[in-house]
Order: sequence, then structure tokens, then C-alpha cells
Amino acid sequence: MENLLNFDSGLMYWTWITFIVVLVILGSKAWKPMIKALENRENFIRESLEEAEAARQEADKVALEYEAMVAKARQEAQNIVAAGKETAERMKADILNEAQDKSAGILKQAEIQIVAEREKAIAEIRTQIVDISMAAAEKIIAKSLTPEDNERLIEDALKDYGKN
Amino acid sequence: MADHGQGTSTNIGDKIIAHVANSDVMIHFELFGIDLSITKHVIMLWIAAGLLVTVALYASRKYRSEERPIPSGFTNAFEFVVDFVRTSILIPTVGKDHVLKWGPLVMSFFFLILTMNFLGLMPMFNYINHGHGGTTATGNFNMTAALAVITFFAIIIAGIMEHGFFKHWKNMVPGDVPKAVLIILIPIEIMSMFVRPFALTMRLAANMTAGHIAMLAIFAPIFILHNIYIGIGSVALNVGITFLEIIVSIVQAYVFTLLSSVFIGQSIHPNH
Repeated sequence: MENLLNFDSGLMYWTWITFIVVLVILGSKAWKPMIKALENRENFIRESLEEAEAARQEADKVALEYEAMVAKARQEAQNIVAAGKETAERMKADILNEAQDKSAGILKQAEIQIVAEREKAIAEIRTQIVDISMAAAEKIIAKSLTPEDNERLIEDALKDYGKN
Repeated sequence: MADHGQGTSTNIGDKIIAHVANSDVMIHFELFGIDLSITKHVIMLWIAAGLLVTVALYASRKYRSEERPIPSGFTNAFEFVVDFVRTSILIPTVGKDHVLKWGPLVMSFFFLILTMNFLGLMPMFNYINHGHGGTTATGNFNMTAALAVITFFAIIIAGIMEHGFFKHWKNMVPGDVPKAVLIILIPIEIMSMFVRPFALTMRLAANMTAGHIAMLAIFAPIFILHNIYIGIGSVALNVGITFLEIIVSIVQAYVFTLLSSVFIGQSIHPNH
């Protein structure tokens, strides 16, 4: 015992025996389950992180798609409104034009009718004037005029009237 | 300790050695001609092993019953150390794929050596075998040599398991060197095969013994000069050295385990 470097086979054998016992018991009951659990947890954390990353990217993608969709919808809505406005404008213009055309036609027709009516009235008036004149003239002139004079006068009068 | 230092003519060096050395055979025991005598260090080894098995089984109970256990309290602290050995010793040396195969051996090395180192720091084993100071089981060359022999065989077994019997020995020398170089290289490699465990043996035992010798040497002047006031300085200094010893205990357990794992890893992944 006085020498630190004494050979002591007993201790060596006991070291091997004890170490193997510890290795066998703890190897199967403690170290392996713990190493497995640590590896499982490591994998679980890695997978969870990867999944979370994938989910985040997916969410980003969906958000982008959604934004694009909203933008597209907004654009479409704007297009629809613009088209509606254009159609309305066009329809308004058409209606106005049509109305104007129609009113112009009515006016023209009215004018034509007026002119025709006037001419008709004038012709009628003239006929009546002639008749009245004839009647009056007959009454005034009947006694002094010969039938020849009478006829000549009528002829003259008709000629004058014809000049007018 | 005072009763040992009383004899004025006693050689203090012998006393110190007696304190750090193993006890005489306490129970002589032989089995089939093999000497299995029980000494103080054997008892310390058993206490360490019993303590480790109890603590490790208690701390790992959740891992045996649950698929994905969530550790808490002591289990969490224990798991931290296990994960430290796994991530900083096993994975970088033997590789991720071999952790489950070589993990139990490396973990057993680390925890058993650490437990024995810490037990050696506790000044209570002088009560075994009537006095003789706080010795450390891992400070005994026979113990560390036995552990290094396990490493020696583990290195060979790891290589053979991975590459087959002949390929393993071939792996020990690089394949692309000139024949002439091999004449020098082969003896060097064979020497290195034996030097590695020898270095493991010496490093652990010497480091674990050195701290105890230093502490005893610092206490020695009290008995040499018969002056208890020197004790104030000695105790103060030894408190500091005890803290240093705690660090040395951890570091030496780590170094022995790391180097064993590195050698096993080199055998699995020969980088020649």
C-alpha cells in the first residue's frame, strides 16, 4: 500500500466486473432510452420547425394569391363600372340623338302640314272671294251689263287672278 | 489526520502517499485462482456504481415509459448532462449514426468516472479501513488501466464491427503511401495503439492523485512545525484547491471520455 504503482489485479477485475454491470443495466435502462428520446425530440423539433416554415410559406403564398385575387376583382369591378358608364353614356347619346331626330321630323312634318294647310286655305279663300265677288258684282252689275259684258268681265277678272 | 502526524520522526512523504494510496487488502477473496480481493478502492467503486445506477435509473424513469418525455427538475438536469455527452462528445467523434451503438459505453465511462472523481473529493472514506485519508478510486493506476483496457478493446471492436476483421487492421495505415514509409509507419501505428490507453491510464490517475497530494502537502506544515495557526492559511488555501479539484474532476472525466470516443470514432471513420 505504500507504493502508488502497486499492481492490484483485484481492483482491475472488480473494475471490469462493475463497469460491465453498470454498462449492461444503464445501457438498456437509462442511456439508450435517453439517447433515443433526445434524438426523437431533436427530430420532432426539426420537423416542427420545417412544418412551421412550410406553413408560413404556404400562408404567404395564399396571402399573395388572395391579394392578387382582390386586386383582380377590384380591377374587374372598375372595368364593369367603366363599361356601364360608357354604355349609359352611349345610350344617353343615342336617346338624345333619336329624340332630336324625332322632334326634327315632327317639326318638319308640322311645317309641311302648315304650308299645305295654308295653301289649301288660300285656295279656298280665293274661291270664296271669287264667288263673293261674283255674287256682289252680279248684284251690282246685273242690271247694266249685257251678258257679253258680263262674260268679258269674268274673263278679265280670271286673267288677273291668274297673274296673281 | 493529526494522529498520523504526531510522530516527529515520521517521513511526511510516506504519510502523504499512504493517504492517497489504496488500503491493504481488507477481505482476501479468490475465485478460480483469480485474485478478487476487496480493498478500499473496490468499495468506493461499488458505492459509485450503486449511486450512479440508482440516480440514473431514477432520472431516466420517464424515458422508459413515455414516447416523448418532457423532463423537469432533476431529470432535466440529468438530461442536460446526457445531452452534453451526446452532442459534444459522441456526435462529433463517432458520428450521428453510431451514437446509439457506442453511446452506452461512452456515457458509462463519463458518469462512472465522474461519480468516482466526486466521491474521492468527499473526505469520508478515511472511515473505511481505520483512517488513511480521502483517497480517490480513479487515482489508482490499476483502476484507470482497467478502464483504458476497455477503451483499447472498444477501439478494436468498433473497427472490426464497421469494416470487418482484416479491413480494420489495414485501415490503421494509409493506403496510398510508399512501401518504404510503411516500414516506419507500421511500428508507429502499433505503438500508438498501446500508447493511447497507456496515456489515458496515466492522465486520469495522475490528475486525480495530484490534487490530493497537493492538499496533503499544504496541510503538512501544521504537523511538521506543530503550529495550529499555520492551519488557518492551509485551510484557506485548500478550500481554493477543493474548488479547483471539482473542476479537475469534471475535466478529467470529460477528457478520458472524449479521448476514448475520439479513438473509437477514428476506428469507425479512418481518415487516412
